[in-house]
Amino acid sequence: MQKEASFVKIIKEHEGVIFKITTMYTDYRDDQKDLYQDIVYQLWKSFDSFRSESKISTWMYRVALNTALTRLKKSKRMGNSVPIDQVILKQTENYDPEFEERLKIVYKHVKELNVIEKGLMLLLLEGKKYEEIAEITGLTPSNVGTKISRIKQKLKKQIIKE
Amino acid sequence: MEIEEMKALWSEMSDQLEQQKKLTNEIIMSMTQERYTNKFKTITRYESFGALLCLAIFLFILYHINKLDTWYLMTCGVVTLLFISILPILTLRMLGHIRKFNILNKNYTEVFIEFQKAKKNLLRVQKLSVYASFIIMFCAAAVFAKIFGDKDFFMIDRGLKEYVVFAFTIVFVYFFSRWGLRSYTKITQSAEDVVKELED
Repeated sequence: MQKEASFVKIIKEHEGVIFKITTMYTDYRDDQKDLYQDIVYQLWKSFDSFRSESKISTWMYRVALNTALTRLKKSKRMGNSVPIDQVILKQTENYDPEFEERLKIVYKHVKELNVIEKGLMLLLLEGKKYEEIAEITGLTPSNVGTKISRIKQKLKKQIIKE
Repeated sequence: MEIEEMKALWSEMSDQLEQQKKLTNEIIMSMTQERYTNKFKTITRYESFGALLCLAIFLFILYHINKLDTWYLMTCGVVTLLFISILPILTLRMLGHIRKFNILNKNYTEVFIEFQKAKKNLLRVQKLSVYASFIIMFCAAAVFAKIFGDKDFFMIDRGLKEYVVFAFTIVFVYFFSRWGLRSYTKITQSAEDVVKELED
């Protein structure tokens, strides 16, 4: 009981992280919801192993990104689906359509990267340091640095093209 | 758009997402329903297996019913048949009812009251099963003694050995029934804890 309660508490505290990852790795609302559910389920399954580890956020990012990547390999979209047209849902009090448009541009650029680069970029945008990104992804910090500088160049090119 | 600008936008988005609880709430609610339903999964599996076993015994006794040649052996046969057919059906029905119970459909008070009712009914059937198991034990012993050994359970001479076996069986049935009832109490209590979480 204690375990379930603390899990729900952690998920509620960090739901924004899961939401951002699901938005990054899916293009349709129902896919996003499914991925969200998958991630919560995988987090629940690995909750015991997390207890012995250092940081909640590291564990969450690692499980969530792995789940997103695994799901991406499996999924092939069929039938009609509703595309994700909004990042921020309108239920928030300070909903600003202009801000939403700028956010969409960020997502558009990041979504053009490949799956690994997407994950790295997301962690960079989340303000993670190279060491922590390395811990989450299993890469070495120097490798992370190299990949991120390549991503930055790639993004610059994409932005200049427009 | 520069990377730094992207970071700033991202950070602002993170702040706004803090206010957006809808999706998580939905997921957590459906997980709560799943957790509730899962509480009864194992016991339903055991009960279904038990019900199949009872059905096999029921058919076996029915097939040999003509061997029960006195009124009291026939009564034992009928009582056994009744118990092993009614109790499993009743248990599975009660279990099905409490298991399929949608804890998210109504408000907390309604859910809690309905759950308590379903729990009470399920435990009542289990208590009935405990008492019934002692009656079935005697009746089934008489029926099987006749079917397998052509012996009248009520007329045979009993020595110390038979009494010891009998006492041992009674003790076993007592502890087994108590264990069963305790398991049910534990499972329903655990499901009740899930229901109580909805109050928050």
